[in-house]
Amino acid sequence: MDDFQTGEETAFVVDEVSNIIKESVEGAIGGNAYQHNKVNQWTSNVVEQCLNQLTKLNKPFKYIVTCVIMQKNGAGLHTASSCFWDNTTDGSCTVRWENKTMYCIVSVFGLAI
Amino acid sequence: MDFAKLRSSSFGTDVDNQRKPRSISTVSFMDEPSHTDELHPPVKLENTYQMSPTKRFPVSTVRHILKDVLQNYLQEERYEPELCRQMTKTISEVIKARVKDLMVPRYKIICLIHIGQLNNQGLRIGSRCLWDPNNDTFATQDFQNGSLYAVATVYGVYYE
Repeated sequence: MDDFQTGEETAFVVDEVSNIIKESVEGAIGGNAYQHNKVNQWTSNVVEQCLNQLTKLNKPFKYIVTCVIMQKNGAGLHTASSCFWDNTTDGSCTVRWENKTMYCIVSVFGLAI
Repeated sequence: MDFAKLRSSSFGTDVDNQRKPRSISTVSFMDEPSHTDELHPPVKLENTYQMSPTKRFPVSTVRHILKDVLQNYLQEERYEPELCRQMTKTISEVIKARVKDLMVPRYKIICLIHIGQLNNQGLRIGSRCLWDPNNDTFATQDFQNGSLYAVATVYGVYYE
């Protein structure tokens, strides 16, 4: 696999990815209030949109997109991640989004091929 | 893993004038340490001409590890913000170390852990991946006791 140019084109660009995530989340659940029967569809939509936009970047990356939607109820939530990869080419980006009734946390991990 | 910088920024969005600004988005991301680039330019590996991994990712073993770790660390604990904050970091490091010990060659590992308080709230965790389904896989395990729940996921991605 050495016909790709090494350098900026094959590094994980965090800003670009975080913009994509923000847009996907706004688009999928923008003005909605938490509804238990719709959450399933919302997580799927957020993740699908994120992944579609990421593939359009046409970079030689494998992506893992995770979305957590939680109702605002005074409960606490802690998330941590630990990764074993190549620091120079791989990266991750996490975006926390909230509105009056729910939290949405989206993480994208990009692993170079 | 040492993270060189943890940067976070927050701002309120005011999408259009009619809709009241009700959504706030906070972006937090880890800055990949770029200082290593000067010392080690990205390594170009030779072709291995391997079509598929020699040893596959052992899903059931990893699941066992997850179950083990979650039970050992969380069985007796009550939910407390400070404790759980430390606990998530510790558990994710421990899981990563144990999966690394399995020595599965050419596999990159991502370990994700969520610990939350049980408060009759609703929660949904979803994930989707763009990868090679023949070689890449994941293992997940959840755990619950009287006051908290935990969900651990390990993704194994083959490096071609």
